[in-house]
Amino acid sequence: MTVPALILSLLLAFSGFSALALSLDRHHRAVFRSPVSQARIGSLRAAGWSGLGLSFAAAVTFAGWSFGPVQWIGALTGAALAVVALIAYRPTSLRAAALAALPLAALTLPLALMR
Amino acid sequence: MSRPRSFRQSMAWLHTWSGLVVGWVLFAIFVTGTASYYRTEVSHWMRPELTDAQADPVAAATRAGAFLQRTMPDAAGWSVMLPSAGSPAVTVYWWRSFAGPFHHALLDPVTGERAAVRDTQGGDFLYRFHYELNLPPMWGRWIVSACAMILLIALISGIVTHRRIFVDFFTFRRDRSAQRGWLDAHNVMGVLALPFHLMIVYTGLVTLSAMLMPWAVKAAYHGDLLRYYADAGIMVAGRPPAGHPGPAMPLGEIVARAMAATGETPELVMVSNPGDAAASVTAYFEEPPGLAHLHPQIAYDAATGAELGRVGEAGAATRTGAVMVGLHEAHFAAAPLRFLFFLCGLMGAATVATGLVLWSVARAPKNAAPEGLGLHLVRILNLGTIAGLPAGLAAYFLANRLLPVPLDARAEWEIGAFFAVWVLAALASALYPRPLAWPMALAVPGLAFLAIPGVDALTVGEVRFVGFDLAMAAVGLLLLGAARLAGRRALARYPVRTRLHGTAEA
Repeated sequence: MTVPALILSLLLAFSGFSALALSLDRHHRAVFRSPVSQARIGSLRAAGWSGLGLSFAAAVTFAGWSFGPVQWIGALTGAALAVVALIAYRPTSLRAAALAALPLAALTLPLALMR
Repeated sequence: MSRPRSFRQSMAWLHTWSGLVVGWVLFAIFVTGTASYYRTEVSHWMRPELTDAQADPVAAATRAGAFLQRTMPDAAGWSVMLPSAGSPAVTVYWWRSFAGPFHHALLDPVTGERAAVRDTQGGDFLYRFHYELNLPPMWGRWIVSACAMILLIALISGIVTHRRIFVDFFTFRRDRSAQRGWLDAHNVMGVLALPFHLMIVYTGLVTLSAMLMPWAVKAAYHGDLLRYYADAGIMVAGRPPAGHPGPAMPLGEIVARAMAATGETPELVMVSNPGDAAASVTAYFEEPPGLAHLHPQIAYDAATGAELGRVGEAGAATRTGAVMVGLHEAHFAAAPLRFLFFLCGLMGAATVATGLVLWSVARAPKNAAPEGLGLHLVRILNLGTIAGLPAGLAAYFLANRLLPVPLDARAEWEIGAFFAVWVLAALASALYPRPLAWPMALAVPGLAFLAIPGVDALTVGEVRFVGFDLAMAAVGLLLLGAARLAGRRALARYPVRTRLHGTAEA
């Protein structure tokens, strides 16, 4: 298990959890000051679960089937904690942070592949 | 308490009270266990005399064997922990019976004599406190096990009680009432690290399972634990002493054989019945990469160096148990993952702490009504544990740097400082005026942790400890941040006039 691989897992889980949080009306209102529409709930949830799925795939690819799931669950906890902290203290920056995490994840991918 | 009605209500009742009765002990177990993820680093920092110079394991083992031969030639067993990057000294143990006492010493690998190092238990104190609470081992382990079982009950009843796990998954409403904030914090800390909490309490019980459920082994092996270990593939089968003395090879030569056989340096060699004609030496190796906590072993005849046996593939049940112990201890985890485990451990401590505070906040009397005896007791125990334990920890580290190095029974003094400061901090926090109790009780350990880097720089001042010192400073800042938060809440709640003349609140 390498540091870039864990960071990749963390970033993907962070984006995924952010999307899932935004699919909930309370957090959507806090971030965008508007209620969330039915159509948006669907797309946000799809995006969120894919983020978590990709995070799992990254963990298992780079750390194998025994360490991968352990590492993934650790990453989930860390990422979810970051999302909760952002919603509580800087709700308006959640969207930007979640979007910024994706290109960062793309940047860490080659680093994770190098090992 | 009125009679519980629905299933969920009765679960809420169970969660509240099971959590309360063991909460204070659980908090200490979580904090010291979390610190134990960095046990080697703590031990390193607390023995600054030891440098990282790598020594030759073969020569070091021979010298350690000579030391033990001089110290207790007729022991029941010796064990020699060889020098490694993680711990550069040689740790030797010797004992006359498995019931103890176990004597130990740190040896300089180059001279084979006692290392010139300050007397301290280092990170081992925190590690042992985590599951023995500094009590006689069996008492401590039973109490910790009981608390862990009640925690398992509290976790499961907590999951049932929490009606909106998914809807409230990310919810932390810090701008509402105090009670709402504490409840949200308790939920967030508990739910986000729930896989960790369930894993850690269950695997923790598994590590003590031989003590908790001894009946199967007792019935099948008539109490012969060693034979059970051999059959389960945990240990190489031992052999009884011959009863007459016999020759022995230098310990280093057996280490050399073990290295030749596997290509790896053993972590530990253990001599059974040294000096006896049937003495044997078992070499223990580092766990191979994987989740399981299983050390490969090879046993040798101490006189001839012939191989007596080795631990091969363990059975499925042993491996399952070993994976659970491995998950609990996280030896497999490299730095970043270990940090996530550490974070999860802190979240566990925070779940317990927020739960305890929530109990008292939810029952706080409205207006200026006097608080009842039970509430008063819980509030004071909360302060004394949640803010007192960090003060004790800071004192433990500061005592390591400030006590004179040649002091007699220095290790006991360090532990004494830990408990004395903990008790003092707890008593003092009971006497602070009520609105200021939390901010003051948290600020004291915060400042003490912030002082650690400075004290370390003045007394030892080595660059290799910068990381540890920064971590201590971070803990200090965290505590000061918590003190500031608690202070702001106190200021918001109590108008200036009552605060200045605050007799009614004190």
